[in-house]
Amino acid sequence: MLGLFPVFYVPEFGSAWLMGITGTIHILASHTSVGAALLFAFLARKAYKEDRPEIYGYMKKYGMFLLIFSYVIGSITGPGIWYTATAASPRGISALIHNFVWVWATEWVFFVYEVVGVFALVYFIDKIDRKTHLRLTYTFALASVGTLALIIGIISFMMWPGTDAYYTTGSVSDAFFGTNTFPHMFLRIGFMIMLSGVIGMVISSALKRDNRELGMEMTRTMGIISTIGGFLVIFFFMWYMGTLPENAKVLLGKLLPGIIASRIILTLAFMLYFAVAIFKPRWISTTLASVMIAVILVAGIWPGEKLRESLRKPYVAGQYIYSNQIIGRDVPGKNIKSEVDRVAKNGLLKVHPFVPANLRTITPENKMQAGELLAKIACSNCHSLEKTGKYRPLTVMFQQTGKDAASIKAYMKDVIGTGAIPYMPKIALPDEEYDAIATWLAAQQ
Amino acid sequence: MDATILNTLRDPAGVPFYPIVFQALYVLTWALHAAFVLLSLGAMGLSLYGSTKQKSDSNWKILTPHLIQTGKLSVSLLIVLGVAPLLFTQVIYDPNWYVTNTLSGLLVFAFIYILVLGYTMYYWYSYANKAGKSGNTLIGIVSFLLLVVAGVLMHNFAVESIQPTKWLEWYAPNGVVDTSGLNFHYDVIRLAFMVSLAVPVVGIFLQNYSDFLSTRKDFSESYIAFTKSLGTKLGMVGLVISAVLFAVWMLKEGLLLNPLVIATVLSVVVLLWMVSRSDKNSYMTTGVLVVVALLISAVREYIKYSLMSGIGYDVYSYPMNLEWPSIVMFLLTFVFLGFTGVGFIATMAWKVGKNEGLVYDCDKNPALRKLGFSTLWILMVWMAVYFAWGMFTLFKNTL
Repeated sequence: MLGLFPVFYVPEFGSAWLMGITGTIHILASHTSVGAALLFAFLARKAYKEDRPEIYGYMKKYGMFLLIFSYVIGSITGPGIWYTATAASPRGISALIHNFVWVWATEWVFFVYEVVGVFALVYFIDKIDRKTHLRLTYTFALASVGTLALIIGIISFMMWPGTDAYYTTGSVSDAFFGTNTFPHMFLRIGFMIMLSGVIGMVISSALKRDNRELGMEMTRTMGIISTIGGFLVIFFFMWYMGTLPENAKVLLGKLLPGIIASRIILTLAFMLYFAVAIFKPRWISTTLASVMIAVILVAGIWPGEKLRESLRKPYVAGQYIYSNQIIGRDVPGKNIKSEVDRVAKNGLLKVHPFVPANLRTITPENKMQAGELLAKIACSNCHSLEKTGKYRPLTVMFQQTGKDAASIKAYMKDVIGTGAIPYMPKIALPDEEYDAIATWLAAQQ
Repeated sequence: MDATILNTLRDPAGVPFYPIVFQALYVLTWALHAAFVLLSLGAMGLSLYGSTKQKSDSNWKILTPHLIQTGKLSVSLLIVLGVAPLLFTQVIYDPNWYVTNTLSGLLVFAFIYILVLGYTMYYWYSYANKAGKSGNTLIGIVSFLLLVVAGVLMHNFAVESIQPTKWLEWYAPNGVVDTSGLNFHYDVIRLAFMVSLAVPVVGIFLQNYSDFLSTRKDFSESYIAFTKSLGTKLGMVGLVISAVLFAVWMLKEGLLLNPLVIATVLSVVVLLWMVSRSDKNSYMTTGVLVVVALLISAVREYIKYSLMSGIGYDVYSYPMNLEWPSIVMFLLTFVFLGFTGVGFIATMAWKVGKNEGLVYDCDKNPALRKLGFSTLWILMVWMAVYFAWGMFTLFKNTL
C-alpha cells in the first residue's frame, strides 16, 4: 500500500480551484497587510518628524480598514489556503509540513506579534506618545516582512528547491534557500508596496470629503509609492523568471504568447492610473480606486496565481510530489522513495488504501466504476472530468488525440505513461487500468 | 483502517524532532486557542443580551460595547492562536488530519467562508451598536450563529479524525465511492461540554474586568460591583453545568476514574471555590483557569492518543529525521521575540487601560522603553541572521 488519501472532487471544477480562489483573496489581503506595514512606518516617521498630526488621522482610517480587510479576511484565508490545499493535495501539504514545521512555527510567533501589534498600532494611535508609536510601527513593519521572509522559502520550495543539495541532505536550509527564494521575495515586496498604495488611494480619495488638502496630498503620495512598487515588480519579475526550473520554462514557452498582450495592457493601464494619481489626484474617486483593486484581483492576482500553479506542474511540492499525490522521485536525504514503479507494477487500485474491496480487481461489471475512480485519483487534481468541465476538461482535451477508448488508451500509455510531456506526471499503470480509464473517459464524450 | 495502513499514511519524510515535543506543543497551544474561542463565544453571547438591555440600563450601556470589543479581539486572537495546534497535530497525526480534510473537503471550504462572513458581520455589529442603529442585535445574532456554525464544523473535523475505523465506510458506503467532501459527524455531549465552557470563561473574565477597572476613577463603584457580581454568578453556574457535562462525556468515554480526569475535576472544584470568593482579587482565578484549560486539552489528547495507540498507531514511533537549524530558529524566536514583543504590547495595553483615556507617555516608563527597543533590536538582528543564513546556503550550493 502507498500513503494515498481519499479523493475530494467538486464536479465540473475539481478541487484545486477552491485553493485558487482562497489563495487569490488571501494574496490581496496579506500582501496589502505587509505593504501597509511598510507604508505605516514611512507615514509615522513623516508625521513624527514633520509634526503633522493630520497624517495620524489618515493612518487611523487606513488602519481600521486594514483590520477588516487584512486581519479578518487575510488572517482567515491564510489558514484557509492551508485547509483547502489539504483537501485538494494532502500529500503536497504534508511534505511541506514535515519539512518546514519549525519555519511555520516561527512564522506563527511573528503572526502573534503582528496581530496584537496591529490592534495596538490602530487603537493606541492617540493614546500613547508619538515616539513610542513610531517605534511600534517600525517593529510592526519588520514583523510583517518577517512573515513574508518565512513563508517565501516554503512557497518557493513548492516550485523547486533550486539545486540538488536538498535531495541529498534533506536539510531545511537547502530546501528553503533555493535559487528563486530571494527573487521571489523581492518580487512580492514590490507587489506589496504597490498594493499598499493602491489600497491607500481608496482611503485618501474618501478623505477628500473631510480634508481636501490632505486627501490630495495622500493620493499623490500613494501614486508615487505605487509607482515605486510597480517598478520593483517588473524588475524582480525578470530576475525571478530566470530562476525557474526547466519544466516551468517549457510550459511558459507554451503559455506566454497567450498572456503577454494582456500583461502589457495591464501594466500600461496601471502606469496611467498611477500617473493620474500623482499629477491629477482630484480625478481619483473612491469608486475608481475600488474598481482598480477589483482589476488587480481579477486581472492580476487570479491569472498570476493560476500561472504560478501551472508552472509547478507536474509537481505540487519540491519537485518530488506529483500533482496526483504520487511520489515522483527519490529523496535520499529523507529516505523517500519514488512510487512510480510500484504503481506501474501493481496498479493504483491495488496500492491505494481507500479503494473499496469491490473495486480492487477490475471486472466487466465494475469497469466503468473503476475507470471513474482511477480518473479521479490520477487526473482530477488538474483536470475537470466532465465534458462541460471548467478546469482543463479532460474529455475536451482528448478530442484532439481521438475520442474513442482505443485512442485515449494509446495516448495515455505511450505519452503519459512514459513521462514524455515534461509538465505532466508520469502515470504508468497496468494495461487493465489504462483500459478502464479510457473506456470511462470515452463514455463521457 | 488497521495499523499497517495508518502507518503507511504517515509522511515518508518523517518528523523533524521528537514527537513528544509536538504533542506537548499541541496541548499547550490548543488550550490557548480554546481559551479565546470560549471568551469570544461568551463575550459575544452576553453582548447580545446586553444589546437588548442597554437602552434602559446604565450598567449594560457601558458593558455591552466593552463585551463586543472583547469578542472582536478574541476572534482575531483565536484565529492566530489556532494556527499552532493545527500545525502540530498534522505533524504527528497527519493520517487523521488529512483523511478528515478530504472526507469533508467541501465543509472545510465552507468553514473558511462562514468564518469570514461571521467575523465581517461582527465588525458590522460593532459599528451598528456604536452608532446606536436599530437592528444591531439582529446583525449580532446572525454573526454569532455563523461563528457557532464554524465552530460546529471544526467539531465535526475533530470527531471524524478520531474514528479511523469508520473512514472507509464513510468514504465508500456500500462500496460506492463518495468524493463530494460532505461527510458530517458529531458527538453531542462533547460539543455541549465545549460550548458550555464559554459561560464560566466569560464569568471569570468579568471578574478580572471588574478588578482591573476598580482602580479607575471614571467608573462608578456600583458598576464595578455589578460586573463583579455578574461575573461571579456566570462563573459559578457555568462551572456547575460544564462539570456535569464533562462527567457525562467522561462516563461515555469510560474515563471517569482516569487520574487525568480526576485531576481535571479537582481543579474545577478549586476553580469553583475561587470564583465564589467574589471579594478577593480574581487574577489568580484566571491562573487556575489556565491550568483547567491545559488539563482539558490534555484529556482531549489522551482520548486521541489512547484510541490511536489501541489500533496500533503510536505517535512516539514516528520515524524521525532530526533537523536542528530550524528548531533553533523557532526556539530563539519564540523565547526572544515572543516574550519580549508580546510583553511590550501587553504592558503598553495594561498601562493605557489604566490611564483613564488620557495619552500615556510610554517613553517615560523605563521598562516599556527597554521592551520597545529590545523588540526592535531583536527584529533587526533576526533579519540580519536570516539574510546571512540564506546567502551562506545559496553560495554553498551554487558556487
